[in-house]
Amino acid sequence: MLMRRFATALVSCLLLTALTVRAAHTQVQLLLSADTAKPGDTIWAGVDLKMETGWHTYWKNPGDAGMATEIKWQLPPGISAGEIQWPLPEKFPPIEVTTYGYENEVMLLVPLKIETNFSSGQIDLKANVSWLECKEVCIPANAVIQATLNIGNETKTSVDSRKIDVWKQKVPIVLTNPPLKAWWEKTRAPDVRPLVIDFSIMPEPFKTNLVDFFPNASDQFEVQASSEEFPIGLVSRTEEIGVRKLVKKFSGDWPKEVSGVGLYFMERGPVAMEVKLPIADQAPIGEITSTLDSSPESRTGVAPVSSFTGKNTETGATPVLPLMLFYAFIGGLILNIMPCVLPVIALKILGFVREARSEPRRVRNLGLIYALGVLISFLALAAIVIGVKAAGHHAGWGMQFGSPVFIVCLTTLVTLVALNLFGVFEVAPGGRALDAAGELASKHGAAGAFFNGILATTLATPCTAPFLAPALGFAFSQTPAIIILIFLSAGLGLSAPYVLLSLNPAWLKFLPKPGAWMEKFKVAMGFPMLATVVWLFNVAASSYGKNVLWLGVFLVVVAFAAWIFGEFVQRGRGRKIVAGIIVLILLGGGYVLILENELDWRAPYVATQTNGSLKESADGIDWQPWSPAAVAKARAEGHPIIVDFTADWCLTCQVNKQTSIEIPSVRKKIKALNAVALLGDYTHFPDAITTELNRYNRAGVPLVLVYPKNFGASPMVLPEVLTPGIVLDALDRAAK
Amino acid sequence: MKKTLAMLTVLAFGASAFAVEIGQPAPDFTGTDINGKTVKLSDYKGKIVVIESYNSDCPFCMNQYKTGAIQELQRDLAAKNVVWLIVDSVNRKNFSYRTPEQARTEWADRKITATAWIDDSSGAIGHLYDMKTTPHMFVIDQNGTLVYDGAIDDRPAPYGDPRTAKNYVRAAVDELLASKPVEVSQTKPYGCAVHYAD
Repeated sequence: MLMRRFATALVSCLLLTALTVRAAHTQVQLLLSADTAKPGDTIWAGVDLKMETGWHTYWKNPGDAGMATEIKWQLPPGISAGEIQWPLPEKFPPIEVTTYGYENEVMLLVPLKIETNFSSGQIDLKANVSWLECKEVCIPANAVIQATLNIGNETKTSVDSRKIDVWKQKVPIVLTNPPLKAWWEKTRAPDVRPLVIDFSIMPEPFKTNLVDFFPNASDQFEVQASSEEFPIGLVSRTEEIGVRKLVKKFSGDWPKEVSGVGLYFMERGPVAMEVKLPIADQAPIGEITSTLDSSPESRTGVAPVSSFTGKNTETGATPVLPLMLFYAFIGGLILNIMPCVLPVIALKILGFVREARSEPRRVRNLGLIYALGVLISFLALAAIVIGVKAAGHHAGWGMQFGSPVFIVCLTTLVTLVALNLFGVFEVAPGGRALDAAGELASKHGAAGAFFNGILATTLATPCTAPFLAPALGFAFSQTPAIIILIFLSAGLGLSAPYVLLSLNPAWLKFLPKPGAWMEKFKVAMGFPMLATVVWLFNVAASSYGKNVLWLGVFLVVVAFAAWIFGEFVQRGRGRKIVAGIIVLILLGGGYVLILENELDWRAPYVATQTNGSLKESADGIDWQPWSPAAVAKARAEGHPIIVDFTADWCLTCQVNKQTSIEIPSVRKKIKALNAVALLGDYTHFPDAITTELNRYNRAGVPLVLVYPKNFGASPMVLPEVLTPGIVLDALDRAAK
Repeated sequence: MKKTLAMLTVLAFGASAFAVEIGQPAPDFTGTDINGKTVKLSDYKGKIVVIESYNSDCPFCMNQYKTGAIQELQRDLAAKNVVWLIVDSVNRKNFSYRTPEQARTEWADRKITATAWIDDSSGAIGHLYDMKTTPHMFVIDQNGTLVYDGAIDDRPAPYGDPRTAKNYVRAAVDELLASKPVEVSQTKPYGCAVHYAD
């Protein structure tokens, strides 16, 4: 009696364990969506793998290593199993050997079709599951699992069907028309080629910047797991996100299509789609530049949060190359009235007035030569940008201002120009450029026109004008040919007014006649030059710190030398040689004693930040230094963030700061919203900031971003020229 | 998890640049074998060299060794004057790390007939060759050019007899010895992930 009881208990135990099979670290069981099914039905089988903590099993494409779980069915005739539906896996590090798989638990779903003429009764469904489970070490395992199914004349769902439904939700949906595109870029090595997968940004509230692509396995090629993300689309509009992955080819030709799972990471979890994408041989034209087909409003019904231009560019009119060239041209035109450039131009007009009366044709030629000077300078700048790009570094507009030597030379030059305008010394008319400084601004003749063109360009570089910025930002990401075109357009814009006047001497009628006012005008123009000196001085201060005082001393010495030159060498009666020697001693001594010794002008000492906060005044905004880590931290903590990328030499940035950022209303708003303020100092062109600027298609500063509180949302890019209203409005939106 | 994913997805390419290329000179390296001897790839210039990425406990490697298939291949190739270097890039903290003494025991137990077993627990050689799995095989010709990079054979399974599969290493060596071009020069390597140091 006892023996029988014992035997029954033993057998029941064994039966129970037979249903759930445990290999070393994974427990496998077979679940069915129905207890009873009708002939003709398709039910779902769930092969459930539960892994111990730290152990994982693999996806259909295990990745660089590992092995996909396999299911071999043993089914009675009349029942057939379909393909395994794999829930979305995770990506496992390390990056050199990335794998795709599952931790803790995964249920692989298999549809089972029952033939229409299947006879009623109870049937056993068996499967032999083999897998590789890995933690620090890998163990291959397999197990036979089984479940019973009744075939009858009704369908009765099982208690497990709910769990099966939950796992079905995690299987990526198959999309035949996905919002994804794919194209090849140029081959990097005989078997290595970058593949770009372009994700259209989902409409609100699904907007996210985090996307990825898990490829299906292939024997002929391998899509690497690591990606490079970048925005595709117009400046300050991230309508699409591109993901670039390298593909290694083992054999055959480059594939014409790629299949896999595209995913968007959202707050509430990833959204995944199973896709098969044809791969174009190159980026579709206009892909980089426009999202012409669907204006933001029509696609989403809501204006995208990520672009915040304040201008009326939201209606879908997106620039292509001709429009960019136009922007560059307008930018060049506007540069004419920037304070850095205006005095030079104004003086040229003076020159007109003098010469037009006598030789109109000469004036026309001079106008063209000036334009030539400007264009050649812009070409030189374009060449530098192309060269630097080719050298693999990031190119930033205004980058020459990072060199302290350049700053000192330019400051001295502009000081001399101002002195010349004040009449401290003269430049002999028609003479050659012996002393490049003073002569450039008021030289006559062809050489003068040419050098004026070059000087105008040099002075224009730190002024990234509102119209110029998007065009330049666009240009920097383009091919050398386009870079050259954009720079030339800007050059044409800069030289246009002068050329126009020189070609239509008749219009000179409208210019005032020469007279005493001209001399006064000339002296008055010296003052904007002085203002430029002060500004350059401030820029130099960031390189030299307190020692910039010595630069001031040097300028005084130079000014004194200039006066002696003018008063005694030029206007003097005798003892010109003595005076000349004194001038040389002053300049030489000034150079050696001040620049070389005190200032150490070529290798300046830059004071390092001693504490975190970059507050400017007692009640100013508490700026913290910008870094991607700081952004991530603030976002994780749920703060809205305002990021200001600025530089000491950037005039627009300083104006923005004084008028629209460091003002009481904005300071109050930042405190009220508990927003984090991050300052990215671009004065010395740190690479990290150049990369960040390139992400938003900007070539230089200013760039102000406002990150909303909502982690998934992308940052708002504020326009070049700010008003308090723009900043306050953006902060309000960020706090929603 | 989101941060890890973010980290994984936004990475510069420098890290994953392909260091070794078929048709290019195989990069030289210096390592120490389990007997304490210094081994340099350049020592073997003029000979065909086979490099095997190894992990004592990886079931894929174990299957090759337990069935005796890989030792047979090592012996056959040694008879043809081919050098076989085992590179064990498992990091020291890992379960599968073998000290030189343990490795010498394993060498004897498994009857390994390779030229040397290099202790690459720092992962330097592994990273240099972008070794992803164990086993991951490389074949270098007599002039030092890399002619094969990939799986050992066409059957990625941790069971069964590898002798029944097409062995890419044997094929490449035979083609080299017959002065023929190597037909299959790249395949996707299979196996366990190499357990590099963090």
